[in-house]
Amino acid sequence: MLVTVTSRSGKEVVKGGIQLSENATVKDLKASIHKRTGKLYPERQRLSLPLVSGQTRPTVLDGDKRLCDVFPEGSDHIVILKDLGPQVKYSTLFFFEYVGPLFIYPMFYFLPLYKFVGLPEKRVIHPVQTYATIYWCFHYFKRIMETFFVHKFSHATSPLSFVFRNCCYYWSFAVFIAYFVNHPYYTPVGETQMYIGFGLGIICQLANFYCHIILKNLRDPKGQGGYQIPRGFLFNYITCANYTTEIYQWLGFNIATQTVAGYSFLVVAAYIMSDWALGKHRRLKKLYDGKEGRVKYPNRFVILPPFL
Amino acid sequence: MAGLAILKRIYLAVYNWVVFAGWLQVLYWAVQTLRTSGYEAVYAAVERPLQFAQTAAILEIFHGMFGLVRSPVSATLPQIGSRIYVTWAILWSFPETRTSPIVSSLVLSWSITELIRYSFFGMREAFGITPSFLQWLRYSTFYILYPTGISSEVGLILTALPYVKVSEKYCLRMPNRLNIAFDNYFATLFTLASYIPGSPYMYTYMIGQRAKALAKAKKSA
Repeated sequence: MLVTVTSRSGKEVVKGGIQLSENATVKDLKASIHKRTGKLYPERQRLSLPLVSGQTRPTVLDGDKRLCDVFPEGSDHIVILKDLGPQVKYSTLFFFEYVGPLFIYPMFYFLPLYKFVGLPEKRVIHPVQTYATIYWCFHYFKRIMETFFVHKFSHATSPLSFVFRNCCYYWSFAVFIAYFVNHPYYTPVGETQMYIGFGLGIICQLANFYCHIILKNLRDPKGQGGYQIPRGFLFNYITCANYTTEIYQWLGFNIATQTVAGYSFLVVAAYIMSDWALGKHRRLKKLYDGKEGRVKYPNRFVILPPFL
Repeated sequence: MAGLAILKRIYLAVYNWVVFAGWLQVLYWAVQTLRTSGYEAVYAAVERPLQFAQTAAILEIFHGMFGLVRSPVSATLPQIGSRIYVTWAILWSFPETRTSPIVSSLVLSWSITELIRYSFFGMREAFGITPSFLQWLRYSTFYILYPTGISSEVGLILTALPYVKVSEKYCLRMPNRLNIAFDNYFATLFTLASYIPGSPYMYTYMIGQRAKALAKAKKSA
């Protein structure tokens, strides 16, 4: 069959279209487009069908579907191609996000940086500051290890611009928090409060790791898409228990270190994660609606019992 | 429903004309004072209507957020942010800046721009007409008034800098239990730096708005 490939404005992207066998899939089409255009590797392509009257959002084409199944009866074989821009793997994105805080924070602990803002170079290092550095670095080291050895990613890629945007977020907060926790005039909290804080944090990091293991095992080893209902451990009560444990882990860090910087990071992170959690919760409820023999998604908290 | 639309229109009409009246006072007293007393006295003469008219503009952020007007928050926020900053954090907070001649260029640039803008929107909301002369003014005077206004803002902030540093006003020092500090001098320098990307952004935004407005006018002509 002959498939015409146009841009969203209607201009033909691949002159003369692409000839494919009757059994070809969307994946084959993307590979052919890549061959013909050179720079548009498959992850950069978003293929959709032309909008039907009344449609606001286009039907995006799924990689494994056969082309003959995708085109409506008797229609012209036209696909619309959107260039998603340069893409990076999720693991690449996460690595750069996390490596910044991993190195930035200890700089404020070890190096005499405060003299550059006119503060005394000599300072007394409180135990909590040492523990905080270890805790923080362990946290981001754990995240990097999980990125390469635990997580199984769904979409293969993310836009390159996300690297700059996300690194700004993580790295700026790292500077903000590290500056104040390691400050020469830092005021530590009482010992009991410190132990409670770090204790909570460690427990929640362990719980968070276990949540990640459960999520990893949910995924089909062949990398098939589709959402599964998470089960076991805290997931029986909370849809995004992994985010819950992450938030409480930061709460522990803040109880121990007590800075406005740290708490503001907690608030922003909780807000972002709640946004994601609501999306995931809704998708799961929609997918598992209990109709036509499908399982009904159980009643669970979204992310932060008892509020959400 | 229709009732809500009428309510919105009445509210916007009242808002635009009331703030217009504020800026009219600012311009009037500024010009009067320049003619009789001189530039050192301009601030004292315009302070109250200036603070009123400029602070009222904070409402416009909510107008955008709640969809009352089409302007994106990304364009209104930096504009109103810089205006409120100069009005309160510089002029009101550091009286030493008030006798500068830059106050006059600031106040004249702001008031002329705002009179055009608020009367343009006021006409549209209250009477449903958009006089082409007013529209032309709105989308052309910014070519001059944005640079003069922005330079005045930057000039006043620079004038205030030594006083910001010495007075330590609004500074929060450590040690404290919340382990937070705020240095107004650094914050002011940072604000100045933000004008470097911010000014071209606002200027090109207006140029884009002008192109859109003229294209629309041409189409309906």
